[in-house]
Amino acid sequence: MSKPTVGIFGLTGCAGDQLVILNCEDRLLDIVALIDIRDFLMASSENDEGCPLDIALVEGAVLSRRDADKLRAIRQRSKILVALGTCAVWGGVAAMDRGKDRARLLEEVYGEIGLTYDSSPAQALHEVVKVDLGIAGCPIEKEHFIAAVAALLNGDTPLYPEYPVCTECRMRENNCLLIERGELCCGPITAGGCEARCPELRVPCVGCRGPAGDTNVPSFVAMLEQKGFDRQQLAARLRTFAPEGVAQ
Amino acid sequence: MTTIAIEHLARVEGHGGITVELEGDAVTNVRFDVFEGARLLEPLVRGKRYDEVAPILSRICAICSVAHSLTSLKATESAFGVRVSPQTELLRELLYRGESIESHALHLFLLAVPDYLNYPSATALAADKPAAVLLGLRLKKLGNQIQEAIGGRAVHPVNAVPGGFGRVPTLDQLIALRGSLMQGRTDADAVIDLVASLPAADFCHSDTVYAALRSPNLDRYYGGDEVMVVSNRSRAIVRAADYRELTNEKAVPHSHAKHSTFGGNPFMVGALARLTVNPRRLTGRLAVAMKRLKLLLPADNPMDNNKAQALELIDDLDRALESIEQLLRAGLKDERPMPVHPRAGTGTAITEAPRGLLIHSYTYDDEGRVTAADVVTPTALNAASLELHLRRAVEQCAERDESVISKRLQMIARAYDPCISCSVHLVRQR
Repeated sequence: MSKPTVGIFGLTGCAGDQLVILNCEDRLLDIVALIDIRDFLMASSENDEGCPLDIALVEGAVLSRRDADKLRAIRQRSKILVALGTCAVWGGVAAMDRGKDRARLLEEVYGEIGLTYDSSPAQALHEVVKVDLGIAGCPIEKEHFIAAVAALLNGDTPLYPEYPVCTECRMRENNCLLIERGELCCGPITAGGCEARCPELRVPCVGCRGPAGDTNVPSFVAMLEQKGFDRQQLAARLRTFAPEGVAQ
Repeated sequence: MTTIAIEHLARVEGHGGITVELEGDAVTNVRFDVFEGARLLEPLVRGKRYDEVAPILSRICAICSVAHSLTSLKATESAFGVRVSPQTELLRELLYRGESIESHALHLFLLAVPDYLNYPSATALAADKPAAVLLGLRLKKLGNQIQEAIGGRAVHPVNAVPGGFGRVPTLDQLIALRGSLMQGRTDADAVIDLVASLPAADFCHSDTVYAALRSPNLDRYYGGDEVMVVSNRSRAIVRAADYRELTNEKAVPHSHAKHSTFGGNPFMVGALARLTVNPRRLTGRLAVAMKRLKLLLPADNPMDNNKAQALELIDDLDRALESIEQLLRAGLKDERPMPVHPRAGTGTAITEAPRGLLIHSYTYDDEGRVTAADVVTPTALNAASLELHLRRAVEQCAERDESVISKRLQMIARAYDPCISCSVHLVRQR
């Protein structure tokens, strides 16, 4: 059987999810042997930019016309398109407050010339093209990437936790930062899969994996308000990694 | 007019390109273009509370996420007058070493070395010469182990917080790291052997100005707040609070990029600059290795940054071990972060990210909310110097074969180890 052809791409972001792929040090050469990587600009200077792909892995968010065009071209040549990381799945940090006046911000950072830039409010991939699989995380978990490769190679789709970080935090028997220490922990509404990495270190969850499925946000907000948190600040914090209205 | 365009610079972090325009033999224009979208993270953190800032701004860049996080914390702590414990200082230096080991191993072995040996990628290189790639992967993994143990995650650390660490690593974790580092040190000779065996990259010479954090024994990436700028003729000190002296950006006619200059000269930051500014550490094993690499300081060849990274890589292993020994000697304490009491004011921090000087500067209101944030990254600081060296390489190339020139330009750009996600803040986009 011929190996599946794969492309690995970055739109606008920090390249952290591609870095996680390179961080699979022990298994990198094994993974590379199972697939036929045709297009991976971050790792190779010899790429086939037009060939059909069985699998495209795309990280980053869409922040310009250039990004959108690139994403559409990738979609067109790919059978399966995987959104890699929270920016690709939910919009990520660049999408927070995406309703703000962008022209004004551009002018502030870059001066008048900023107004001429090819720049648009951050969008998740699924807001621009059809996405077949999303792997959230900022960055993604290495194991989730490896599981995805294994599943896709076998014609399967991997499943990732939709339950909240709290579920995993409880399994690890941590003291609750929110209830017992009154800290603003986003665990109750954030998708698990990270083994509650931050609360395990006594650090409140910042929500970097995006929303969990089936959560009771109004009740969460009401509880935090009772604890004295300001509603507006709360709303902003909950949207740090996934803006309002980006539902899957 | 001839134009040499490298549309997509490969094997670097982020999206950029190079354009060179020639009029006969004269180089008329050189541009290092950046295609990253503008994420506008600095204005977006305005209004955020102090404890939200580092997790957001670390997302500027994955490969330098420890540097961004810790520089951010250092700036915030400076604004509030928080003094962290000596143990926290040591753990933060150790975390920096971890990032430096990972970053240098990745850059040297997976991104830069394939050029010297005429391979398009590390995976292609691995098919013929697996030892070189496996060496890089081993060291890269070691750097990640340090970042995971101290920072809680290899990319975008979560454990470093205002005032210290969420949870101090356990004794067992440090002892395990010590074991891995002692094992890792046995690879030091192989690193120097490999880099010494590479064909000379001798196609760009230029007087270069270097800037780096002054560190008496090259023993600090994180601590310190004085930058030294060194040229053939002069030396100058710039303190953190006066960082704008280094970033007096100005538009220049030959380029689309805003340039950082000091005294009118472009300057280079990164491994080579650090060794040049802090030569006292280059004794013993490092001096021997330096001779084997035929590295002379101050260097006039930007490709020597790769050699400097190799030297730092083997030194980082020793330094990380030293930090662990110090932590163990002092007796590891399960400290909680220092209390943080917000107050109105400005804090500026400068550190050495793997690619060079990184500056974060914030102004806070009395409730600890950001009113202004400024981030200056090494790749932005390097842009003017990189363009200068690209220009020299074309001028000094006797051949006018486009593929020869193009390869040299790409090798120089990679030697700078650019991190283009980081650079968008200062470098204008096309």
